[in-house]
Amino acid sequence: MNAPDRKVKLTPTTKSDRGVGARMPLVDGIEKVTGTARYTADLPANGALVGKILRSTYAHAELLEVDISEALKVPGVRAVVTGSDCDVPYGVIPIAQNEFPLARGRIRYIGEPVAAVAAVDEATANLALSRIRLRVRELPAYFKATDARVADAVLLHENKAGNIERAVHNEFGDTAAGFAAADLIREESYECAEVHHAMMEPNAAIASYDPERGHLTLWSVTQVPYYVHLTVAQCLKMEAAHIRVIKPFVGGGFGHRVEPLNFEVIVSLLARAARGTVRLLMTREEAFLTHRGRPETQIRIKLGLKRDGRMTACEAEVVQRGGAYGGYGLVTILYSGALLNGLYDLPAVKYDGYRVYSNTPPCGAMRGHGTVNIRFAFESLLDTMAAELGIDPIAIRRKNLLQAPTETINGLKVMSYGLGDCLDWVERASGWKERKGKLGRQGNIGKGLGMACSHFVSGSAKPVHFTGQPHATIALRLDFDGGITILTGAADIGQGSSTIITQIVTEVLGVDHRRLRLIANDSAITPKDNGSYSSRVTFMVGNAAADAAQNLKTLLVAAAARRLKVTEAEVEWYGEGAAIAADPDQQVAFEDIAEEALVGVGMLTVNGTFTCPIEFQGGKQRGGAVGSTMGFSYAAQAIEVSVDLDLGKIAIDKVWCAIDCGFAINPMSVEGQVQGAIWMGMGQAMSEETVYENGRHKAVNFMDYGVPTIIDSPDIEVHIVESMDPNGPFGAKEASEGPLSGFMSALAAAVEEATGHRFRMLPITPEKIFAVRQEQLAAAANEVTSQ
Amino acid sequence: MNALPEFHYLRPATAADAVRMHAASPASHYIAGGTDLMPNLRRGLVTIGAAIDLGGVKELGEIVEQGNTLRIGSGVSLAQIAAHPVVQARLPAVAQAALGVAGPTHRAAATLGGNLCLDTRCNYYNQSEAWRAGNNYCMKRDGEGCRVAKKSKRCYAAFSGDVAPALIALGAEVEILGTEGVRRQPLLELYRDDGMKWLTLAPGELLVAVQVSLDDAWVSAYEKVRMRGAIDFPLAGVAVALRREKGVLTGLRIACTGVASQPIAIDGLDAVLGRPLDAAALATISEQADLANRSMKTTLVDALYRRGVSLVLAKRLTQRLWDAAV
Repeated sequence: MNAPDRKVKLTPTTKSDRGVGARMPLVDGIEKVTGTARYTADLPANGALVGKILRSTYAHAELLEVDISEALKVPGVRAVVTGSDCDVPYGVIPIAQNEFPLARGRIRYIGEPVAAVAAVDEATANLALSRIRLRVRELPAYFKATDARVADAVLLHENKAGNIERAVHNEFGDTAAGFAAADLIREESYECAEVHHAMMEPNAAIASYDPERGHLTLWSVTQVPYYVHLTVAQCLKMEAAHIRVIKPFVGGGFGHRVEPLNFEVIVSLLARAARGTVRLLMTREEAFLTHRGRPETQIRIKLGLKRDGRMTACEAEVVQRGGAYGGYGLVTILYSGALLNGLYDLPAVKYDGYRVYSNTPPCGAMRGHGTVNIRFAFESLLDTMAAELGIDPIAIRRKNLLQAPTETINGLKVMSYGLGDCLDWVERASGWKERKGKLGRQGNIGKGLGMACSHFVSGSAKPVHFTGQPHATIALRLDFDGGITILTGAADIGQGSSTIITQIVTEVLGVDHRRLRLIANDSAITPKDNGSYSSRVTFMVGNAAADAAQNLKTLLVAAAARRLKVTEAEVEWYGEGAAIAADPDQQVAFEDIAEEALVGVGMLTVNGTFTCPIEFQGGKQRGGAVGSTMGFSYAAQAIEVSVDLDLGKIAIDKVWCAIDCGFAINPMSVEGQVQGAIWMGMGQAMSEETVYENGRHKAVNFMDYGVPTIIDSPDIEVHIVESMDPNGPFGAKEASEGPLSGFMSALAAAVEEATGHRFRMLPITPEKIFAVRQEQLAAAANEVTSQ
Repeated sequence: MNALPEFHYLRPATAADAVRMHAASPASHYIAGGTDLMPNLRRGLVTIGAAIDLGGVKELGEIVEQGNTLRIGSGVSLAQIAAHPVVQARLPAVAQAALGVAGPTHRAAATLGGNLCLDTRCNYYNQSEAWRAGNNYCMKRDGEGCRVAKKSKRCYAAFSGDVAPALIALGAEVEILGTEGVRRQPLLELYRDDGMKWLTLAPGELLVAVQVSLDDAWVSAYEKVRMRGAIDFPLAGVAVALRREKGVLTGLRIACTGVASQPIAIDGLDAVLGRPLDAAALATISEQADLANRSMKTTLVDALYRRGVSLVLAKRLTQRLWDAAV
């Protein structure tokens, strides 16, 4: 067989159509849609033991004894572990680690893991679980933040008085002066139900312990393999070097998996105890109980406006029911306050936030972390006050735009800002000027239009764990075959990070994309990455990828120069080869350049890194790092609804959403992320909520927990605004979280136009609309009678 | 994961064989589409010695037009029913109800018989074994007492099949095969208002087919209220069949689902016959529908809402059919 023809004539215009800006399907899309992608539960696990977790049926109790003696007698049981097998607490925030993988001494919510077994099959494991006896002394349990905060409430954690995990009190600017200068001040209360991520893939993990070497390998569904790695080492008191963590394909995360989770430690404990391999596949119900969702939130918010709509001051009190453990909680309550700023020019803010412990599953991070509920309240109040001042909702937002670059009163840097363009497009596309307030009623169908704005960080500028290492590292490996392998620890959880990284490397190197392959998330192979959270990957890992590609390119240009016998400055880089700039017919192909590059050194592994400079890492106030970022995404959206007034049912007819993501490295992916954010916002706004009855979660399945279906999905028109962020890779910023938080208030505004009632409580369910409608009809009837 | 428990698997070729197999092993359970039974087995809601798979019984899988009657085998899938031209054209309520069940993949597997015999549902019952154990079970399965109505001696789990009310409004009859042979009865009599024993079938009896009259003087419609546009069981579902002759309402039958432990036929509608449909008639319909409604807090959605919207649907569908039947 002949060797491939390497003498293809290259020209300077030869450029990959898979570089940045290319509208292309995800690089791993084929595997996913054809079913060849292997998720954790699909991995071959021949001979693996079946793991099962015993969960508490008590909401709050002293755990006096866990008797496993009968369980151990069941034939086929290979290991039983309890809280006494792990005395090291864990938690994603180093200063707030108060959770044990298996309860020790105290049970704090229904569903908390108490013991676990590894057995030869599921029936045996179930039988063993049924033989475990608990001796407890029940304690008063608190399912609402207000109940947990009463003076004589039993403390869930002894070191946290009043069951307050974290209280935040901040004031930036002079709010007293701001309110004094206001022409209109209004204060309202809002309430948002707790919601859950409802990611498609349920939790699953496999742990394999090699008793000869004392090594553990863990496969898990995580978004943060690095934190999981640290946590397993900490809880099992093992050397991190003796642990290998692999993340297979992951079917969504949305924040459920941004912290190490109890089952990841439990399966590791089981594998070590059983001296073998244990597979732990969990049910949907267990995902709901592991939770880490968005907390039930009460918000009291006060806003001051000048007559022309300019904001003068804002004051907000936020109470979050955090659940039983710390988790990410203190970050959530800090985010709510911090990101009151960064969207509009808000000169003074006073914020009081309370994260409260309760006997419910722990809350955590969820898409739009900490910013969603406060944004619902802020945008809703702004609408209400705009109406009072006779100012159009879009006009009042325009009146308060920021001018980039700028720094907010709480020390957040805004380097690029396309919100004005977003508003312009939404106004035009939705026909806002002609149609707002004029849609009218058609029989029993009320029509309405609403809009709102929102934003989110492109990665937290200060990492959770301070190590002194770069915030992101990528390695590119080049060997004899001329193939380039991208090694990354960035966790692709469906959001498309592997695609973005590949596009960036393709762009910088200019090579045929087929020359690249990407290997992600195997701690034995790929560089450490902090993980997929706070929308950090495109920005930080993207910059690291560009850096790595640039570094490799430098080596390749040098090699090309050697082959062409010219200086590096005389080389024209063509991607799939190079030429002498002054004599383009003198060319050398990529394979030959690679061969030259390896002379004397062998395989090349080139690193690229990225670190957020210190000046971007937030204000000096306590907790000031939360909310800090190098680039905010901005979004504006308008929603059109039809409400069946007799049934209380909302149909979303259309959503127009403009996103300033800086630059769309992959427009198709950006559009998908924005649509996903809108779907998720729609669920929280209309139908999703966790329901606890005496601490028992009653909506632990997808029949009762109302994630919208594709039939409920409106037509979503996405418009991309490119503000070209000075620090983002090719100008790119976040695209996936920001658009979510505008949905709720935009919906509430549209429903107000359709029904005449402003809902200040989420979700806006048919039964709530129905009840309001009954009241309206009764009031109208009374009026008629009294006339 | 909740693994399936172990059970024997039997696959008869005829309905008579199926009934004989059941008689031979009384702890067995018929299975067709399995969309209700399989999740219930995984959750420990049903214990079976043997599954008698009706998938091989050809006689159950036919839709036959016999004169002015349509005979639909109990093994016909809901997708087939929804797409059947005669059902679509002449029994629209049945087509709409079948199309309203769950999602496309469910409807491809789920059968008419399964939907008519659907287990009653309750938020305290349709949960995992661990969940129910933690809540001390309830009288419908493994425990005592009712979690919905604390002092109740009966179970209020709600019948939630969509197709039954449509067929009841159209006056359908069912064919039932037992060891003694075939018997026939109005579909409504298949049910009783008891969440634990909602079917009047004797042990081992097999629902073979449904017969429904193709009387074009009657027009019909079915609509359900649910949280989402797909997947969900009805919070309330209403079927209306109506006959309008020379500007006068000469026949009206309304049946509801999701609002009691059985599908209910609304009584007292004769009062509105013999004159045009007017506001007073709609008020009577609403009152009668309200009287018949026995919604309890078996779903996360409030029972008052389910009651309220069932009245709205009853009036709305009646009005719509009346207007269209000119």
